[in-house]
Amino acid sequence: MKLRPLLLVLAVVLLALLPVLGDEVTMQYGIDVLLFATIAQAWNILGGFTGYASFGNSAFYGLGTYGTAIAMTQWGQPFWLGLVFAAFLGVACALLIGVPILRLRGHYFAIATLGLSATLAAIIANLDIAGRNLGLVLPLTRNEPMFYEASLALLVAASLTVAWIARSRFGMGLLAIREDEDAAQVMGVSTTRYKVAALALSAFFTAIAGGIHAYWITFIDPGSAFDLTLNVRMVIMAMFGGPGTVLGPVVGAFILTVVYQLLASSISTAAALLFGLVIVVAVIFMPRGLWDLGQGIGRFGPRYLLQNIRMHRL
Amino acid sequence: MLFAQLLANGVLLGGLYGLMALGMSLVWGVLNIVNLAHGALIMLGGYCVYFLFTGLGIDPFAALPIAMLVLFAVGYVLQRFVLNLVIRSALLNTLLITFGLEVVLTYCAQLAFSADFRTINPPYAGANIDLLGVTLPVVRLGAFATALVLAALMWMLLERTKLGRAIRATAQNLTAARLYGVDPVQLYAITFGLGAALAGAAGGLYGLVSQVTPYMGSALTAKSFVIAIMGGLENPFGIVLGGVVIGLAEALAAIYIGPTFTDAISFGLLVLILVARPARSLQVT
Repeated sequence: MKLRPLLLVLAVVLLALLPVLGDEVTMQYGIDVLLFATIAQAWNILGGFTGYASFGNSAFYGLGTYGTAIAMTQWGQPFWLGLVFAAFLGVACALLIGVPILRLRGHYFAIATLGLSATLAAIIANLDIAGRNLGLVLPLTRNEPMFYEASLALLVAASLTVAWIARSRFGMGLLAIREDEDAAQVMGVSTTRYKVAALALSAFFTAIAGGIHAYWITFIDPGSAFDLTLNVRMVIMAMFGGPGTVLGPVVGAFILTVVYQLLASSISTAAALLFGLVIVVAVIFMPRGLWDLGQGIGRFGPRYLLQNIRMHRL
Repeated sequence: MLFAQLLANGVLLGGLYGLMALGMSLVWGVLNIVNLAHGALIMLGGYCVYFLFTGLGIDPFAALPIAMLVLFAVGYVLQRFVLNLVIRSALLNTLLITFGLEVVLTYCAQLAFSADFRTINPPYAGANIDLLGVTLPVVRLGAFATALVLAALMWMLLERTKLGRAIRATAQNLTAARLYGVDPVQLYAITFGLGAALAGAAGGLYGLVSQVTPYMGSALTAKSFVIAIMGGLENPFGIVLGGVVIGLAEALAAIYIGPTFTDAISFGLLVLILVARPARSLQVT
């Protein structure tokens, strides 16, 4: 397996060279794909490793967009300081709500986080500094390569973090929580601290991705910044690729975003319909994601798909 | 008098919310599926009643049982041939597949019925009853009463019939129920069908007091969620009460705090309840 890291480095270098080769439109698609992959990967840190399905990540994303926008337009700070402020807001929110909400389990956790976006959107829509309902307009910069490389760097950083988690004691603790939280606690895993740390890490990357997106798109308002469908999309991408794996969510995001863009440009209404069908079929036939499917060529085939049904049907 | 009117509006709409949550909580409590497609089933019910009324001229209230039958069939098929296949996989997977179904149903409806807003407008749509200075629209009153009747029927079914006993037994312990001769494949499909039938009735009534669109589902799913938890998953009347609480909270919040806050209020209430009453929410996984 010495080959794999080499191939990965090669892939990243190729991706980084895209601005030299590609035109503006390709790059815009590229930024979109990279940002989606980043937030899917960030969701994976908590959702994939501990099995706690967060629907509050779109709130961190929204805080990131507003953090950057406020720092740049209201306080006249440069872009990078905006991103720092975005990360700060995201992590602070994660720490603040993490302790009470992560005590809840299963469905209850998912539902408690579901309200977070709506609540924050309502608060933002009533704040003067955030431009109330009208939103904020950021300074216009036409520098696609910069946004592209920033998104790629963020994705690489998030993936390296997940790779580290997967090998570390911290990651083992998170997996133990997913398998059996009570047992993990008995074995000496400080479950609450682990879960809050995972949520904060997840919030960190999500908020920065939001910040990059805000400056790239140059206009934000509460509705689009705190969009719950964005959260649903990150869950689907991570689950489709393989939750709790290092590269699964990235692969899932790449495939699904490209498929969605291709469909949307040719047959607009049917695109969403097909997207839904893909989800249904994927859950039935490959409940552990693409990554599990790709673990060995021999496993791929009708037998693997049918075996999944046999395992999970009534 | 404004206050009394607000209370009346909140209670009447809240009863309908309760009916919506009833179907969701039945499926959730028995099958342990949080059905994100519940709102889409409500939407289908709305279209059913709409077309029965405009196409065949059947009175909306008389069309409700037909819509419930249709939705029962839809729900039965969905559970029997799709959801039963994944019911034992991870919790998130059932959440995901119902989300996929929601998307599919929503966009099928958009293709079939177009994105137009539709209202069900029977001749008595504008009629009101005046009670001590409070105006009660006949349609809303009828919707509220129907919701109560259906909740009562649901309670009777669960408590007094053999099917109800089988459903409750399965919710408590699937293995034990199986040993006593319950066939889970059939029972799960019937339970989901019942949940869908309740959604269908709620959809028809919602079309009377509001509008039917292909996209109405997700917001109603979220509301049903909140109410199902507040009311608990066992008692139909508790759920209707939960609906009334949410209806009241929304009506009051819209006037006294601001209409943009209505969703935030119901979710804020929910999180408070979850965190403050942890015994149940910590145990159930």
